[in-house]
Amino acid sequence: MPPTLRIDPRDARPIWRQIEENVQHLVARGALLAGAPVPSVRDLARELQVNPATVSKAYQRLTDAGVLSVRRGEGTFVADTPPAFSDSRRSGRLQEEAVRYASLAVTLGASREEALATFEAAWRSLTNGQPDSEGEEA
Amino acid sequence: MNPIVLEGMTVRYGDRLALDNVSLAVPEGSVYALLGRNGSGKSSLVRCLLGGQKPEAGRVLILDRDAWTERASALAQVGVVPEEPDAPPTMNARQLSRFCSRLYPAWDAAGMEARLKRFGISATTPFGQLSKGQKGQVSLALALAPAPRLLVLDDPTLGLDAVARKAVFGELIGELADRGITVFITTHDLAGIEPIADRVGVLRAGRLVLDEEMEALKGRFRRVSFPRAQAAGVSRLEALAPLAVAARGWEVEAVVSNYDEESFTASRLGKAEDPEVTALTLEEIFIALTGEVEEGNR
Repeated sequence: MPPTLRIDPRDARPIWRQIEENVQHLVARGALLAGAPVPSVRDLARELQVNPATVSKAYQRLTDAGVLSVRRGEGTFVADTPPAFSDSRRSGRLQEEAVRYASLAVTLGASREEALATFEAAWRSLTNGQPDSEGEEA
Repeated sequence: MNPIVLEGMTVRYGDRLALDNVSLAVPEGSVYALLGRNGSGKSSLVRCLLGGQKPEAGRVLILDRDAWTERASALAQVGVVPEEPDAPPTMNARQLSRFCSRLYPAWDAAGMEARLKRFGISATTPFGQLSKGQKGQVSLALALAPAPRLLVLDDPTLGLDAVARKAVFGELIGELADRGITVFITTHDLAGIEPIADRVGVLRAGRLVLDEEMEALKGRFRRVSFPRAQAAGVSRLEALAPLAVAARGWEVEAVVSNYDEESFTASRLGKAEDPEVTALTLEEIFIALTGEVEEGNR
């Protein structure tokens, strides 16, 4: 597995869902490129030390969702045009993390202006030199 | 057909009840992990399972045959890795492989050698000179060579270091992927078996107190905790019918076994109190169920 994929026994999600969402995430942020091969069920199961049926279930769901595609006799690949995160999932995640950041800022006694400025600076350093048109909220 | 079926199995030693009316079934192609503290009855159960002991009541069916009355035919397609692997000390793994191969209709000698290589064990070292962990690995390689339909492992990673343990589980995972073998395993390695087992049984004092799918088990156990200062939240913990409530540091926490995401936090705890709800590892669930919390060990 080129980019890391981890499973966590303290995560409330079942392992197949952790794998499913991690792969979706890696594809969405471009760590797994369209058309790139992914490990076989057997190899990934051995690598993660999980039951192969669990990996198989995750791959099946990812294939059904159009994130992965199976080429007979060749293996499993990231689809040529994988679907983006669904809008509701995307805004849910965004909101979750925003609440986390806001509560940290409140706990530390930061002002609203300071928190926003810090966020702006972080945003700029990540999108440095790139036109930041995509991914903006409407 | 379930490859393993135990029906009302009872074992008694004098007036001590070692197994009390234990019934369970292991579905084809699944991995069943039997857990229990030392003295819980695991060894008696495995002995009966392998036809080495007649239960006082009940019976064991292995691949549809009675493990006691039809032992030879019941075990013909079963690979076994015993807790204390034993072989003539002067024979090496290759000689053992050749010897055992005559007892089976099919024997994958090349696969056996490949496994030894993956374990990093020389095929020409006498069995008596191997470490306990290596003996177990040779035993696993021998058990898999005839391509059994069912594999019974009695604490196969006991005494193994992390690398050797990963190699043993890796072989198991490979067999599951390649052949859909059915596995029955007893182990103390709860972190290792957690992501591999489909189903879990827990023995306590001879009784099977749990027999459940891993995913359902993990789904219904949660730790719910509140800051101690939040008296209102703390008093609500009791309403959850927790297995245990304990004060730890700044927090009061409860382990609950009836968690249900839909209704739980909102309706029963109230949103305002902001409880922290976290999942438990299999080891934590096991400790909660078998009741011995080792204080100072967390």
